[in-house]
Amino acid sequence: MSLLGLLVVGAPQGASAEVEALLASLPPRLPVPVLLAVHRGPQELLAGSLARRCPLPVLEPDDKDELVAGRVYLAPAGYHLLVDRSGVCLSREPAEHGQRPAMDPLFESAADAYGPAVAGLLFSGHEDGWAGLSNLSSRGGRVAVMGEGDPVEGVERVPLKDVKDWLVRLSYVPRMKVQP
Amino acid sequence: MSAVTHRAELEALEVELLIEGVRRQYGFDLRNHSRPLLLRRLRRHLREERLDTFSALQGRVLHDPEALEGLLRALACPPDTLFSDPAFFQAFRTRVVPMLRTYPSIRVWHAGCSSGEDTYALAILLMEEGLWGRCRLYASDASEGLLADARNGVLRLPGEEDARNYREAGGQRALTDYYTRDGDWAVLHPTLRESIFFTQHNLATDASFNEFQVILCRDTLLAYNRSLASRAHERLYESLVRFGFLGLGRKESVARTPYARAYEELEGTGRVFRRTG
Repeated sequence: MSLLGLLVVGAPQGASAEVEALLASLPPRLPVPVLLAVHRGPQELLAGSLARRCPLPVLEPDDKDELVAGRVYLAPAGYHLLVDRSGVCLSREPAEHGQRPAMDPLFESAADAYGPAVAGLLFSGHEDGWAGLSNLSSRGGRVAVMGEGDPVEGVERVPLKDVKDWLVRLSYVPRMKVQP
Repeated sequence: MSAVTHRAELEALEVELLIEGVRRQYGFDLRNHSRPLLLRRLRRHLREERLDTFSALQGRVLHDPEALEGLLRALACPPDTLFSDPAFFQAFRTRVVPMLRTYPSIRVWHAGCSSGEDTYALAILLMEEGLWGRCRLYASDASEGLLADARNGVLRLPGEEDARNYREAGGQRALTDYYTRDGDWAVLHPTLRESIFFTQHNLATDASFNEFQVILCRDTLLAYNRSLASRAHERLYESLVRFGFLGLGRKESVARTPYARAYEELEGTGRVFRRTG
């Protein structure tokens, strides 16, 4: 089991209330950065409303920004949000599944850059995100679909109220003595 | 090691070899391109070429220069529309144009013009603002193929959304005044096409070629990684006169380049910077 390095979250347009609830339930001292792709229109101001109840800062990154643990990076309107080991990479490639930002590009790049150190959460309700999620999972990342209900396509389902425990389980590392 | 991990590692190796092959055979250096973006475009190209592995693509590209041309085309971002970012052009019109009016002559460089949509949008704006007579607009791109498209001045026919964007950008006439319709295509008027100097220039490798009062370089440097983008910013900085204007993409900044202190952002413009140092 490798250490968690990154949490990626994808959600369709209708799910912003659930995303807000998820962000509100994040631990205030999350040891990893969170990358978030939500389907959105060009004019939609999203960061403000998502940040309202979130204990972590929510920001729309510029291209090539570094990733800092404990911050939530929201995909800006009109760009795909990608990630590599040095930080944020934005892309103006065409829409995928009719969406830009889309979830698949984020999940795919996270799998490439972080492999098994990624945790991925998907709010269902759109065709986007599934390919990326299965890509993450096949590379050893931990993935789940948000919400109540039966498992979908073999992916674990996590109710919103349990997501905190799910995250804690992922980021739990036995304490060890560290020599400076 | 799982089969999937093994495949992923093999793919990473094949991509390295492909990049190295393209560099040694043709001199195109993709090593410092934004890796996630490069991977996505290469994978899409692989699917479109109906090949299974990057090794197969490498074989084809090394033996066939036309396959290289296809690869480089696949790496370029597909064209946007005229005035695709109306807020930028609106800000340029209201904040930069008044200052440009005081200049006797203005050299403008659009670096990374791709197939020319933003270049033509800028030309239209400068015409409407009565600055065209004293402007010289240079537009450059690394790809000869894209430049040829840009020179042709034939775009996909603008639709209602484009007309709306044009108005939002502060357009004073009708967008249809600037082109002749040819089926699904719009042929831009020769007055626009003929007074733009299109020239091949690679921001990654070529030196500065003039001094400019205005440089636009919007979303072009997304394709590079941080170190190459910083080098490209060196070109831009050298090419901009003191107090000249640099227009970047909506989510780009000079903050993470060595020139952060040499620019001031014009407030409320999105991303127009003025060289002050």
